[in-house]
Amino acid sequence: MKDITIGQYYPADSILHRLDPRVKLFGTLIMLISLFVSNNFLNYILITVVLITLIKLSKVPFKMLMRGLKGIIIILLISVIFTMFLTPGSTLIKVGFIKITRYGLKKACYLAIRLVYLVISTSIMTLTTTPNDLADGLEKSFSLLSKVGVPVHEMAMMMSIALRFIPILMEETEKITMAQKARGARFDDGNIIKKAKSMVPILVPLFMSAIRRALDLADAMEARCYNGGKGRTKMKPLKYSKKDYSAYVLILVYFVAIIALSFIIGRTEELEILMVRR
Amino acid sequence: MIEVKNLEYLYGPGTAFETKALDNINLTINDGEFIAIIGHTGSGKSTFIQHLNGLLKAHSGQILYNGKNIYDEDYDITAHRCKVGLVFQYPEYQLFETDVLTDVGFGPKNQGLSKEEIEKVSIKALEDVGMDEKYYKKSPFMLSGGQKKRAAIAGILAMNPEVLILDEPTAGLDPKGRDRILEKVSELHKERGITVIWVSHSMDDVARFAERIIVMNEGKVAYDGEPKEVFKNYIELEKMGLSAPQVTYILNDLKNKGFDVDDSLIDVEEVADEIYKCLI
Amino acid sequence: MDFVKHIIESKNLVHKYVSYDENDKKETTIALDNINITVNEGDFVAILGRNGSGKSTFAKHINALLSPDEGTLFIDSMDATENKNRIPIRRTAGMVFQNPDNQIIAQIVEEDVGFGPENIGIETDEIWRRVDKALEAVGMTMYRKNSPNRLSGGQKQRVAIAGVMAMEPKCIVLDEPTAMLDPIGRREVIKTVHELNKEKGITIILITHHMDETIDADKIFVCDKGKIALSGTPREVFSNVEQIEGFGLEVPVATKLAYLLREKGIDIPKDIISREELVDFVVSRGGNRNDRS
Repeated sequence: MKDITIGQYYPADSILHRLDPRVKLFGTLIMLISLFVSNNFLNYILITVVLITLIKLSKVPFKMLMRGLKGIIIILLISVIFTMFLTPGSTLIKVGFIKITRYGLKKACYLAIRLVYLVISTSIMTLTTTPNDLADGLEKSFSLLSKVGVPVHEMAMMMSIALRFIPILMEETEKITMAQKARGARFDDGNIIKKAKSMVPILVPLFMSAIRRALDLADAMEARCYNGGKGRTKMKPLKYSKKDYSAYVLILVYFVAIIALSFIIGRTEELEILMVRR
Repeated sequence: MIEVKNLEYLYGPGTAFETKALDNINLTINDGEFIAIIGHTGSGKSTFIQHLNGLLKAHSGQILYNGKNIYDEDYDITAHRCKVGLVFQYPEYQLFETDVLTDVGFGPKNQGLSKEEIEKVSIKALEDVGMDEKYYKKSPFMLSGGQKKRAAIAGILAMNPEVLILDEPTAGLDPKGRDRILEKVSELHKERGITVIWVSHSMDDVARFAERIIVMNEGKVAYDGEPKEVFKNYIELEKMGLSAPQVTYILNDLKNKGFDVDDSLIDVEEVADEIYKCLI
Repeated sequence: MDFVKHIIESKNLVHKYVSYDENDKKETTIALDNINITVNEGDFVAILGRNGSGKSTFAKHINALLSPDEGTLFIDSMDATENKNRIPIRRTAGMVFQNPDNQIIAQIVEEDVGFGPENIGIETDEIWRRVDKALEAVGMTMYRKNSPNRLSGGQKQRVAIAGVMAMEPKCIVLDEPTAMLDPIGRREVIKTVHELNKEKGITIILITHHMDETIDADKIFVCDKGKIALSGTPREVFSNVEQIEGFGLEVPVATKLAYLLREKGIDIPKDIISREELVDFVVSRGGNRNDRS
């Protein structure tokens, strides 16, 4: 329980691990945009090649990446099925009142690929970036927003504190469960309502403990002169190196390629659809 | 009677970090004993007591309670936990109800007692730990550290256990608060004949109250015997990160200076008498 | 002439807690009642007292986490009642709390130690120098890359002390730093604190209810019901056996034995506090008569 890592960082020494978190955040963002503007076969081939290269570069085992997919499998199935059945167009197969259109099938395929790639690309980022770096990267990347009143520093601080206390609270949950079991509490039987009720003896002490910890922590932070993000310096400031700049250039090249492809090919496909509809 | 046979428990079994948290423990705990278990952090003492009431299950070995194996399939482990009550170190882990009396009644409620019975046994338990009536309707979260501890112990006592296990019941309390809790427990033991198993860090406390001491080290039982006997090994105890009561050191110093003193004494008054004999 | 600088000086310090009962009736509890304490720079001072005696409330005043309701408090000549002195006071008098888990902010030891210097805007290179020095001072250099979750209680407290040291304070207040530790952890922490006092000249205010941690202090204040009930050197304070026990505290075993022997009519000094002193006394008085070797 003590070793649980949120954000599932996978320690390894790869070029992706060494990149500045801001580059990785930017790269992920571009990847997401490119997934949503992509509307043709060639685009997806390009994205697939890029993702495979990134996976190879990251030195993260393929199995770890697949784990992230398990969580979205239901959402994936539902959205694919709906898209498949509810998209109008020329009918491909018809069984009773259910009909699948050619366009619908295509759209469903693209949707499935998009969702899977989305999870894979964000997983590559979280697996190669420590939660702390991630928080730092977010804080720095969104620092402009703090000028318009968005508490960027505070949000990043909250994120890293949450990460620090999650394992502690997990362990505590285990101990509280044991303490209540020692008083004859049962957690395994009964219906859902009964089960939910049986959680109260665990949740109340856990909640009280979390509040106490929060108050203590606030004192401890104040005692160490914490006064928000203003005037704060960094022990480990984020600094770009040559490889980060090269990465930015590569990301931009990729983005231009995607946009160009979707404009040239995508347009022709759209025309095709319009013609079919008529 | 609790018989522990070849008990073994592993941390992280099957991983590279696999360690024996409990390593071939064999011992018998008789009814009505007042036992202290001592050992430094990580010696396995907390793991061990969690086995006694069945919260943890050993990887091998047996625990017999009154002759019955608690790992048998038809053994009612929840009922066992009520008979062998365990009070955790932090009362905050168990207090959750809106008032003290209801909280103490949680155990009896789980045992399936009627409303009237629950109230009866809860009040009895609170009286047993010396909790004043004015606290019954107070929120358990508003109590002081010592009172929370009493409420937590009462919460276990209310289930009418035959064995009471206390994991460092005095941690964080000041000397007066500590003495009050220990005196209450000692009273319960004497008056009700309840078996007490008490995990402690403090040699001076243990020396004052326990009839038998089990010293644990690296998952094994290092010593098991009367306090006087165990503390004779104070040099070995120090190697385990423990120590003997302060008076043991003073008596040994005197003995080394050539005084004829009984170095097995641990009661401060008795030690004063012994030194007095040297001075007249 | 007064050559010694007073790092802490409180005059008639009063602190009240206001709470409301179920009927919304206002209740005022006086947590600190006219506290007068003066601490010399470089001293090792212990504050003893039962839970709820007011000692933790006083600690929070030294660190400007609370401010006095009445009276005055000066920390290194800075007035604690003035809001603008809050941060400078916290830089001068750092604080270590009871629960080791609830005061470590970062997920890596060295980053936690750097948290304080980051807050006060120290530049990066200097932060690293201070973190190195602070970890060295508490003997935790080899754990610098570890996660705090993997450390023992005593080690966590030493990290917390390093976190305060990195702010280069003149004074460290420790509020029951050993209450949640086992004997080994307690020894580690107390040893570290004594080293910082002797080697770096840092003023230490140790708040505790373990009398054995206070024996080597320069001065002890005993708190009882929000008042300073006794003060003086450990020898002076512990010689009042009955009074100390009346406060719900205890005296060193050697002192207790000496007290019992006095009651039996032996003319033994009241101010024995160590095991050696007691043994030496017995040797000097009874040694010749009862030596049977």
